[in-house]
Amino acid sequence: MSPSRFRGVDFLHESMIAVVRHPGRSLLTAVGTVLSAAAFVCTLGLSSTLDHQVSSSFDVRRATEVLVRPEQASLDPAWQDGTALARLTGLHGVVAAGARLSLDGDRTVQRSSRAGDTEIRTRIIGADSGALRVMSPSLTAGRYFDGFIPGQAERVVMLPRSLARELGITRTQVAVFIGAESYTVIGIYDDVARRPEALQAILMPLLSAEELRQPGGEDTRDVVIETQPGAAQLIGGQAALAMLPTEPQALRAVAPPDPRLLRQEIEGNVARSSLLISVIALVIGAVSIANATTAGIAARTQEIGLRRAVGARRRHVFVQLLGETTTLGLLGGVLGAFLGVCLTLGISLANRWVPVIDLRTALLASGICAGAGLLAGFVPAIRALRIQPVAALQR
Amino acid sequence: MLELRAATKTYDDGHPVHALRETSLTVEEGDYVAITGASGSGKSTLLNLLGLLDVPTTGSYRVLGLPAHELAESHRGAVRGQVFGFIFQNFHLLNGRSALENVELGMLYGPYNRRERRRRAWETVERLGLAHRALADPRRMSGGERQRVAVARAVAGRPRVLFCDEPTGNLDSANTATVLDTLRGLNEEGLTVVVVTHDPGVAAEGRRRIEVSDGTVTEVEVPA
Ligand SMILES: Nc1ncnc2c1ncn2[C@@H]1O[C@H](COP(=O)(O)OP(=O)(O)OP(=O)(O)O)[C@@H](O)[C@H]1O
Ligand SMILES: [Mg+2]
Repeated sequence: MSPSRFRGVDFLHESMIAVVRHPGRSLLTAVGTVLSAAAFVCTLGLSSTLDHQVSSSFDVRRATEVLVRPEQASLDPAWQDGTALARLTGLHGVVAAGARLSLDGDRTVQRSSRAGDTEIRTRIIGADSGALRVMSPSLTAGRYFDGFIPGQAERVVMLPRSLARELGITRTQVAVFIGAESYTVIGIYDDVARRPEALQAILMPLLSAEELRQPGGEDTRDVVIETQPGAAQLIGGQAALAMLPTEPQALRAVAPPDPRLLRQEIEGNVARSSLLISVIALVIGAVSIANATTAGIAARTQEIGLRRAVGARRRHVFVQLLGETTTLGLLGGVLGAFLGVCLTLGISLANRWVPVIDLRTALLASGICAGAGLLAGFVPAIRALRIQPVAALQR
Repeated sequence: MLELRAATKTYDDGHPVHALRETSLTVEEGDYVAITGASGSGKSTLLNLLGLLDVPTTGSYRVLGLPAHELAESHRGAVRGQVFGFIFQNFHLLNGRSALENVELGMLYGPYNRRERRRRAWETVERLGLAHRALADPRRMSGGERQRVAVARAVAGRPRVLFCDEPTGNLDSANTATVLDTLRGLNEEGLTVVVVTHDPGVAAEGRRRIEVSDGTVTEVEVPA
């Protein structure tokens, strides 16, 4: 006579049979883990999908933009002259750079010099050809004002389409009056790649804008820079020194926040909150397994007594119940992870997002659910230790 | 082979119930013992002690010369699983498992591997005329078929002692006769059989007769 034994294969087989031959009981027991695994995979899947969505719609052009301003408006305008700009464009990573002058206050603009004609008030920005290139207005009609003779103040303007419409202008080569002076409209645009304030202002050559300065006006000067993708931070750190080597602290360069940092921040927040939801769901799942299995022990007293009567030791019954709840947790986790993946795909497709699912979260969810099942099994297993073989004989 | 000495069993929940008063009983290898008595007299209690399903309150018990009352629970389990076979009053077959799997379960914790268990289970199921129902779920079997599955489970592992509590309690006369034939055949092959029964016809099969009355056990002489 050898001691009673419970082989590994038999253990696995018994755990499996107990689960799959009672599908109703199993589903009721494992429904908590199914839901928690689905919540886990779905929240993480949706957060990575959304994150991908955020970063792909993240303004890549904004991330290639640097703005340089003097700390004091009274700084000698020579800081943005041709040689300073030449040093700036010499920096590795700078694509284009140019000087701008934004005139203080709004100016009156009219179709004609006659009194009573439609007039609007708007800002005026003077830009050199480099700055124009950085802003890159999208033309709906006409052309840019670069290519004129340098050093000469041409009386030409570019209008954003909204302003042109207010003035009743639909084509180029017509005149507008700013104060008493006449300017030719040579371009109409409906968008800009950088510096959206240009959508609410009239653009004209830098020298022409200089002529419109008024004494005592607080005009602002800046330099706009287009960098290669990812170089904005770097150029932001070098621009002041390149432009004004003698007094770099008089200038301030503003680069947009690093998109990668921003992205990590979003990711961190979303991941933390979805992780919290999933952990709560998992705890509920484990408790529901423990609860349902413990409740089921009463109904299985005779089965357990029978096992003891045919030779099972207490520990055999104990590990079998752990095996059953672990199997339940695992299957519940796999099913839930599958549902979570489907749910993420469905929601993403419905919203026309590109679904981004890390399948490792599905594996992780299944593993965690199996672990939760194992832990949950201790309650009924300890309860079952008390069942005596004589229970098999009782009705 | 089984030797109960001055054993008693008292259940104590609130006030004590003397289910079995001081009893000594010896069962020899190859015996066919019938235990009879009124309901509540203590027959099942006696069978539980003999089958190591329960421990006596006082007294001693030896199985195959081993002091069973001193054995660790793990050894008692091994004796139950490998030396004893049980047929319970209400069959206690597991639902959701085929008849064959139920028969195999009787040997699960014993020395045989899966293939050997299956082989023995098949052999026993065939011998009891159940081959055509081997893959059926017990819920879809008749009372007689279920009883035969229970018998098959008890004997497939070749135990040396078979304990039966009312093995024919729920059967009609034809099925009762089949079960009795089976038990007699197994006993003739050397299996020791201990049967608790109400049925005088079943009791008449025994070559020894034990009468339990209000916890007191007496052996009745059987005319040869
Ligand atoms: N677990 C228990 N706790 C308390 N009392 C018990 C317990 N089991 C049995 N008894 C009592 O012990 C006595 C003997 O019970 P037992 O089951 O041995 O009777 P029995 O002869 O098998 O009866 P039946 O023919 O109805 O099966 C009864 O009075 C019963 O109520
Ligand atoms: Mg009884």
